Amino acid sequence: MYLRGVKMAMEEDVKQALVKQFNLPEETIRIPRPRRIFMEISPEKLKEVLDFAVKELQFTILLTITGLDESDRFGIIYHLAQKSGSILNIKINISRDNPILKTITPDFSNADIYERELADLFGIKVEGLPPGNRYPLPDNWPENQYPLRKDWKQEKPEVSEKSGGDQNA
Amino acid sequence: MRKPDIFKVPIGPQHPALKEPESFSVSLSGEKILGVDIRIGYNHRGIEKACEERTYVQDVYLIERICGICSHTHATCFVQAVEEIAGLEVPKRGLYLRTLIAELERIHSHLLWLGVAGHEIGFDTLLMYTWRDREIVMDVLADLTGGRVNYGMNTIGGVRHNITPEQAQKVLTAMDKLEEQTKYYIELALGEATLAARLSGVGVLSHEDCVKLGAVGPTARASNVDRDTRRDDPYAAYGDVSFSVITDDHNDVFGRTVVRVKELMESYSIIRQLLKNLPEGPIAVKAPRKIPIGEAVSRYEAPRGEDVHYVKANGTEKPERVKVRAPTLANVQAVKKMLENRYLADLPIIIAAIDPCFSCTDRMINIREVASKNSRIMEWETLRQKGIEHYRKQGIDFSKVKITQSF
Amino acid sequence: MIHSLFLLLIFPGFIFLSIFGTYAEFVDRKLYARLQNRMGPPWFQPLADFIKLLAKEDVVPECAVPGIFRIMPIFALAATTTAFCYVPVWSTHSLYPFSGDVIVVLYLLTIPTITFFLGGWYSTSLFARIGSVRGITQLFAYEVPLFMSILAAALLANTWSLTDITLFYSRHPSYTFFNIIGFAVSILALIGKLEKTPFDIPEAETEIVAGSFTEYSGRLFAFFRLTIDIEMVVGAALLSAVFLPFGLTLGPIVGFILFIIKVLFIVGLLALIRTIVARLRIDQMINFCWKFMAPLALLQIIINLILKGVL
Repeated sequence: MYLRGVKMAMEEDVKQALVKQFNLPEETIRIPRPRRIFMEISPEKLKEVLDFAVKELQFTILLTITGLDESDRFGIIYHLAQKSGSILNIKINISRDNPILKTITPDFSNADIYERELADLFGIKVEGLPPGNRYPLPDNWPENQYPLRKDWKQEKPEVSEKSGGDQNA
Repeated sequence: MRKPDIFKVPIGPQHPALKEPESFSVSLSGEKILGVDIRIGYNHRGIEKACEERTYVQDVYLIERICGICSHTHATCFVQAVEEIAGLEVPKRGLYLRTLIAELERIHSHLLWLGVAGHEIGFDTLLMYTWRDREIVMDVLADLTGGRVNYGMNTIGGVRHNITPEQAQKVLTAMDKLEEQTKYYIELALGEATLAARLSGVGVLSHEDCVKLGAVGPTARASNVDRDTRRDDPYAAYGDVSFSVITDDHNDVFGRTVVRVKELMESYSIIRQLLKNLPEGPIAVKAPRKIPIGEAVSRYEAPRGEDVHYVKANGTEKPERVKVRAPTLANVQAVKKMLENRYLADLPIIIAAIDPCFSCTDRMINIREVASKNSRIMEWETLRQKGIEHYRKQGIDFSKVKITQSF
Repeated sequence: MIHSLFLLLIFPGFIFLSIFGTYAEFVDRKLYARLQNRMGPPWFQPLADFIKLLAKEDVVPECAVPGIFRIMPIFALAATTTAFCYVPVWSTHSLYPFSGDVIVVLYLLTIPTITFFLGGWYSTSLFARIGSVRGITQLFAYEVPLFMSILAAALLANTWSLTDITLFYSRHPSYTFFNIIGFAVSILALIGKLEKTPFDIPEAETEIVAGSFTEYSGRLFAFFRLTIDIEMVVGAALLSAVFLPFGLTLGPIVGFILFIIKVLFIVGLLALIRTIVARLRIDQMINFCWKFMAPLALLQIIINLILKGVL
């Protein structure tokens, strides 16, 4: 395996360090393949875990933030990467009825656009997000329409017979 | 003293400097840029949502169409994630061919960029030369896969087209030709005075800012950030080939140009190694229609930077969630920093220097106003009525003209 | 009277200039294309473009000042065509020579830039306004070196009349070689005047769309384009009269053919420069003009002053 970089922390070491630091049960951290670590924590602990991952484990790069609609709750995955190639995927679950998330922009300035994506497509309220343009939906997008939620279905446009057809026909 | 007048110039959504719709609203004092307001999202097509409603095989082709230039990038990144979830072992030859197309794509993308960069600074000769040479690699790609930009090479479990020794020979000949040309471009990039005058010191992104803003690809490597997914997290056949990661410490557009032209040379070497050591055997394994429950994160070093896909499977033939993080989304946030205190004349090249691909960046939603309550679709008749009124104001009356519709 | 009208309107006046101007544009475009490995347009392309534009609708923006917006293209065309009356073509004589006409020609050749400025400014488009300000800024940079280098040649000839300058140099062809610096400077200044790469800053497509011409369309735009074509011919004719006065005594036919060749040579030179350089930024352009071109033009004046004393 071709691995290099500062302060090498192998996947198992990362796992043990996280387990020790936060008193987590072993099974919440999975290592499905080399360089991939998946873990699940409660939302309150997110900031601590992120700080620990950045400062102690060198997971300094935020790749992206993924939102998931798991019918009864929303899952948010923060994908962090080390310079040496390992990815730590930290998942938190938040309630679907009142989806509120704290911004991580103070620690990761590039999180801005990923959090806006969550806000637009899942309707998750991100607290503390600096003012700015919405992304990616258009400004005249109707309110309370969040396309990546599972119960959102795109309606077939209602087109009257006259208007829809091929005008060149 | 009078306060200087501030212009607000709309660069985009439609503007000759931009090849895709996105908006940079620039506040200018004279020629100097005071601030810029970036609005992206004009290219949203609902691909992530659409992926959830299609089968895995259909998704491969849909995802390939996220971007016109890095089509192989997205397709590979996606199939890698799915293969990981399904536990498929792709045959060696399949991996090698995947890598081969990936590098050919990098060549065609970098040559394209070089031309666009030349055009943005008014150096059209560079555009014409690089795009002429780009045809060589496009022809090779068409010969290998049948497509010039959408290759349809990937399938879950391997690749779809095999390669004959004659084709391999053709690729090698093309590489020799391109290498010779690229040497000339390197000389040109490092030597031509007006080119250096327009590129040096423009769009500076310091190493610290670059790390902080999470820039990727050549943009980051030109700020001396030693990151390359091909080496750090080897996928496909990159573990078997040797190449060096090009970095540069100019931190500006000039550095980004140098990184890209030197990366071209690395790509030629990688392709030669791949073809020399191409293993025999099958090119694909059969993939199940239903992918078991699981999730995977896949990374890929696109020509523009690191591409990240997250796929979650729920045991059916359709994915539960597909998330795409295109390289431009990571880089576009650095543009604001690069534009600080620069001149309007530098704006096109600074934006172009991250090699933006807004189709990649904006994926998700299909915009149909009809879906909303305040529906405002203009019917054919209304449009015609509007046209007639417009011309009547100018003294021309079209209302007598009858159009017979035949549907 | 009829003879004068023929001279002014048909040959070598407006009609000839328009045709030769479009042909010069073709040579420029074709050369540019061939140097870039492209096929380039057929010979009638610029003419076809012109005719097509004439047939298109004129759109005047609502916010624009219509009077100025409409009159400027015609003004520009008239100025450049008039300038040609004082430039010697096939002999050492121009059509209507008088003492001091070199100043008038330089003045008339400045007018198109001013009209681009006014037309662009009063069209009120943001891009046009930025473009026109750039154009005017650029004018201050290249105009002085151009004036100085042409006046340096006039100084040596000891006259303010273009006809006499040409006469002087065709009598003493070897003196032309002393003006080589002035020739180089005025070629560069001509690029600025014609707004071609590397000095096409006022109409930099990728930055400000089409600069002053952003809002122009149809006939008005066609006239502006024709102006630039004619300006190219008149500018090249001026330079060839002052700096390349060879073979003007060989009779009208040879002189005329040589005139065509000289103009096309200068047009070709412009195309070549255009091919090998990138567009400069406005600050770089101003720096270049004042740091290199103006001192070189001054040097030319000093050389000619010394020569006058020596010879």
